Amino acid sequence: MKFLRLLILALLAFYAFAQSNAPTANGKLRRDALGRPDLSGIWQAIGVSLFGETGEVRPGEGRASTWGPPPGPPPYQDWALKKSRELAADDRNDPTVHCRMAGTPRITGIPVPFEIAQTAKKTYILYESNHIFRIIPTDGRPHPSSDELDPSYMGDSIGRWDGDTFVVDVTGFNDKTWLPGFGHFHSDALHVTERYTLQPNDTILYEAAMEDAKVFTKPWQYRLILRHPPRDERIMEAECQENNQDLQHIVPDPKR
Amino acid sequence: MDHPIDGGGIAYTEVRNMRLLVLGVLLAMAPYAFAHHSFGAEYDSAKPITLTGVVTKIDWSNPHVYIYLDVKGDNGQVVNWALEGHPPNTLRRTGWTRSALKENDTITVTGWMSKDGSNRIAGREVTLPDGKKLFLGPPAQ
Repeated sequence: MKFLRLLILALLAFYAFAQSNAPTANGKLRRDALGRPDLSGIWQAIGVSLFGETGEVRPGEGRASTWGPPPGPPPYQDWALKKSRELAADDRNDPTVHCRMAGTPRITGIPVPFEIAQTAKKTYILYESNHIFRIIPTDGRPHPSSDELDPSYMGDSIGRWDGDTFVVDVTGFNDKTWLPGFGHFHSDALHVTERYTLQPNDTILYEAAMEDAKVFTKPWQYRLILRHPPRDERIMEAECQENNQDLQHIVPDPKR
Repeated sequence: MDHPIDGGGIAYTEVRNMRLLVLGVLLAMAPYAFAHHSFGAEYDSAKPITLTGVVTKIDWSNPHVYIYLDVKGDNGQVVNWALEGHPPNTLRRTGWTRSALKENDTITVTGWMSKDGSNRIAGREVTLPDGKKLFLGPPAQ
């Protein structure tokens, strides 16, 4: 019984500690006029302007659960894993080094902020990176038919609410972007399901499920914690082509 | 560890794979590099360098800021070096202002040399004429 009491005390202490990391009063979620969790605001997953030079999470925001290097290889088919490793050996293969749009969901982990603007029938995401935007209808409309849908870098997004989680179905991709990480190519069969779940401490748990029957053996998932930048940021201009000297100086690395 | 262009995060094929989650948390403690390309693609972390010289040009540009510096070598010959840094928006958010640095300022910069032998370095920390220090780019990977 003594052990059980200690165990309960330890669990209560842990619970109290976990709660202390949630600064929002009463643990209530911020909500919009329609009663939905309000995702509006400036968000960022990683980067020196968010975490500082030492990479530390600011006090009161919990552990540094998710930032740093990109994840390991997706569950590729054998041929695709080989191709991915070949691509990874040379940074010049990376579409973003050529200043192309980062694609969905890789864009979410680019280390610069983006703004979510949630309205009654559409949610907008304005990314600082390359000034990319996404318009996500939430009025119940379906994706355009495949005949009407031109393959695109960021895909076609349709949003809906699953309880308190904003779910975005993204399809209609081209095969010119990479998934999170390095050398992680995909095909035009990519289908992404993003889940944005506002947390009581005013962070967002971002989850992206990626399916691609042409290159994967099973779905792959990726997640990030999105945080507000430390200052009252505005999304600024960022034109990537302006002075891109890197292509001339990159040295391939077969060990990568 | 050498490819931190983007992504920070945990990949998991099964949510219950705690070992992978723990690994992700450990990896999460690693430093971060340039937003646009990986550090190791262009720069050699085994070749740190410190330069002192006169600023000849400042490209407050994307995807990277470049500061050009005339540095006099031991033989008296002046060589112009390019210092690569974070993009302008990131520098603005980490303490740089437009007036922080001007042409003809004498500065000292630490960084790492390029792999291709050109006179380029990944700039890390700049010491301004008034002694103030500002980070220009990420630590070596």
